[in-house]
Amino acid sequence: MNESSLTITTRGLTKRFGHRTAVADLDLAVPSGRAFGLLGHNGAGKTTLIRLLLGLLQPDSGSITIAGHRLPEHRQEVLAGVGAIIEEPHFHGHLSGRENLRIVAAVRGPHTFPRIEPALARVGLLERGGDRVRTYSQGMRQRLGIARCLLADPHLLILDEPMNGLDPGGILQLRQLIAELVAEGRTVVLSSHLLGEIEKTCQAVAVIDQGRIVWQGAIADLVGGAPQYDINCDPTSLAVAMLSADPTVVQVTARTDGVRVTVADPSDVSRINARLIGAGVAVSGVSPVRISLEDRFLQLTTRTGDARP
Amino acid sequence: MTTSFMTTVTARQMIFAEILKLRRHRSTMLTAGVLSIGITVLYFLVIESRSNGGIPVPKALSSGSALLAMYFGSFTAMLIGTMAGTLDVTSGVFRDLVATGRSRIDLFLVRVPAAVAVALAFNLVGFAVSVFAALAGGGGSAEPALIAQYAGWVVLATTVVTALSVGIATLTGSRSLTLTAVIGWQTVATTLLYSAEFLGSLRQGLLEVALSQLRPGLAVGTHEHPGSSNALPGLVLPMSTVTAILVLAAWAVLPIVVGARRIQNQDA
Repeated sequence: MNESSLTITTRGLTKRFGHRTAVADLDLAVPSGRAFGLLGHNGAGKTTLIRLLLGLLQPDSGSITIAGHRLPEHRQEVLAGVGAIIEEPHFHGHLSGRENLRIVAAVRGPHTFPRIEPALARVGLLERGGDRVRTYSQGMRQRLGIARCLLADPHLLILDEPMNGLDPGGILQLRQLIAELVAEGRTVVLSSHLLGEIEKTCQAVAVIDQGRIVWQGAIADLVGGAPQYDINCDPTSLAVAMLSADPTVVQVTARTDGVRVTVADPSDVSRINARLIGAGVAVSGVSPVRISLEDRFLQLTTRTGDARP
Repeated sequence: MTTSFMTTVTARQMIFAEILKLRRHRSTMLTAGVLSIGITVLYFLVIESRSNGGIPVPKALSSGSALLAMYFGSFTAMLIGTMAGTLDVTSGVFRDLVATGRSRIDLFLVRVPAAVAVALAFNLVGFAVSVFAALAGGGGSAEPALIAQYAGWVVLATTVVTALSVGIATLTGSRSLTLTAVIGWQTVATTLLYSAEFLGSLRQGLLEVALSQLRPGLAVGTHEHPGSSNALPGLVLPMSTVTAILVLAAWAVLPIVVGARRIQNQDA
């Protein structure tokens, strides 16, 4: 991918805490104007990566480029256009939502004050903006966190586990808001372990495992690959023998109630079905096998407690 | 760590934002009000009731300003300074503010004038109560210059103690720890060290001694007014005004430098 079409690029990014390597030789490429997911188990290195991207931690080695500017050299000008929620949004509980935004607007600069009311309106907190934050629900705090990000009029939003604590309605609202932000040409980096949400929200992902990127690219490519079908049939042994000799079948495996075949071309499935019936195999059903993001994620990553080979 | 150029407008708005954080903290504001204003009112009610024909104005001003500069007003300064030094970290907001790209030094430095402004608001109202009580008590009239000198002394003491508290609180990151340490130092350790005659002129480095030296019309440490504490009337510790000013500057600036150093390396 062309460097100019990337909002974030890291090269050989490494961060160690003592003897533990949290982020190891990480090359990340986040395309502009997309929702990009960071996937990983707890402790995989997602939050450390985000803290490095925001200049909250200094890397031991490697480089970070955001919107064409290197960090940490251009940290202030880069972060002026970045909104971020790290782990969970924190606020002064004794201040109202509006006052909390005023605090951040003062830090970001006078041009951000006029964005306070539109930001509150956009996240649906205009009416409750005068209430103390300590009276807010978790979902309202998350939305206020998004409003705080919007004060920067950001070209890049980095949201670390933004769905945490949200009810289904809140998740849906946030998903729609992220889609709107992306439609406006902004880049949204979304870190989460809620794979279903990433799949529904993002167009591309990086899968991080033990501080390393084990896969990155479009979600469609991650969950795609050669099409597979489950064929419920009897006798299974005859079906396996026939399909093993079929040159259009890439792979065939026996299952308790039939076979699973991998084919190069989905249009071959009806012909395979006819061949099986013609050979006296009773076929009771054919269904496509959907590989979920969760399946691929679990194939790619090391589960907690497992050792990487 | 990146440092940035902060415009005057941004600096002013950041200071106002810090003031907003402090003044909305009701329990702290209430406590500060009781310490600086309530106790001053109480003090003058008590001594007025015991006096016949009013307290002489210079004495009333001296007592009222001492309450604010050395005792309860000083506690107000500590309370507000430690609050300013720890509020962002304890609420978890500090990381979000750093993530805006604003330099940590900027975020730290605006705490000092904001805390001083809030502490002064309480102590100057307390001082106004003292002036009112002095003049209304029938103890005569007062030279405006004398009132201004006492007001200046209260401002100086409040500024130094507040700055000290902001710096130490930023260093420790703990409000309760800092309050315990600073109050303990000012009330117990200072008295003990002051009485340790073998320390000689080293005792001139004590904050309370230097503040006492600059008290208008009453240079403590002279033979006429020997001690900074009434509990230690027999002690004599003369020091020059220049030395006193240098000592106060050190007490204000060094904690700020230490706090700034700490905030640069603080985990965000």
